[in-house]
Amino acid sequence: MTCSATAVLTYHPGGPYFRDMADQGVWISQEVAYSREDASPAPATSFEDLFGAVVGPAYGYALRLTRNRPDAEDLVQETALLAFRGFGSFIPGSNFKAWFFSILVRAFYGRHRQAQRRPSTVSFDDLPDLHLYSQSATAGLPTTGPDPAAELIDKLGTERVVQALDALPAEYRMVSALYFIQDFSYQEIAEVLAIPVGTVRSRLHRGRKMLQRALWEVATDCGLISETEGAWTR
Amino acid sequence: MDPVSRFTCEEAFRRLDDYLDRELSPEEMAMVREHLETCVACTREFTFEASVLTSVRHKVQRIDAPPGLLERIKRELGRQ
Repeated sequence: MTCSATAVLTYHPGGPYFRDMADQGVWISQEVAYSREDASPAPATSFEDLFGAVVGPAYGYALRLTRNRPDAEDLVQETALLAFRGFGSFIPGSNFKAWFFSILVRAFYGRHRQAQRRPSTVSFDDLPDLHLYSQSATAGLPTTGPDPAAELIDKLGTERVVQALDALPAEYRMVSALYFIQDFSYQEIAEVLAIPVGTVRSRLHRGRKMLQRALWEVATDCGLISETEGAWTR
Repeated sequence: MDPVSRFTCEEAFRRLDDYLDRELSPEEMAMVREHLETCVACTREFTFEASVLTSVRHKVQRIDAPPGLLERIKRELGRQ
């Protein structure tokens, strides 16, 4: 085998083999790859290792997209198979989680074409700023202190907060779930969803407003807050 | 900082989301921070909004994959 001047290595998903793209794409062993003086540092992780680290977050995101557990599990499994087969296109050292999530989103669109083709027609004219803040102030709930909203969100509980997030229209839920659950930056969300950063920004802004309104409605609907008497009912 | 270049409440509020997400330029981050140092009302609103984001995030990030999902998928990958 002729050594290339500069090895450009792509990891093989099936085992410890590399493809040297600077040498007509020939397959080389890990040993040969590591022995090349000019080779860039090879990844020490396999597809399974990388996937194992993202399966939990991927399931959490799939659950917000599909809104039911069996479909979420199927979506993650389908994504894993697609990613495994396409692992040759993953650039070692780049953001595996974002790469995997972009495949998950495409797989979701493949199953639910309506989510992609039919943007919601929600009116944003009546979405107020600082909705939870102003409602909390009116109801006599805490609005000051180091973590003033924590008590309200704690009392709502995980299930109701998730319920409010799930109630967002699909395009806002997809952006908001990446933001809240995965801690992705605007740029990463844009890459995962293949939309401009400006669209991420505006959807996130509106998504937050809708979420605040939904959280307050859930809190009052479940009787957590008495709107007539103010403050907590329990 | 030059008083002329200071943000008003409205200008700071318009950047609330981007400020909390650290998506502003370093210069704008500094200008919002400087506004908050001198404006009690905006500080209260910004603190409340940050608290909402942190609390919601804390709740929705607690969801784990079902036991057995990873192993099931690994078995499926092994058949490929």
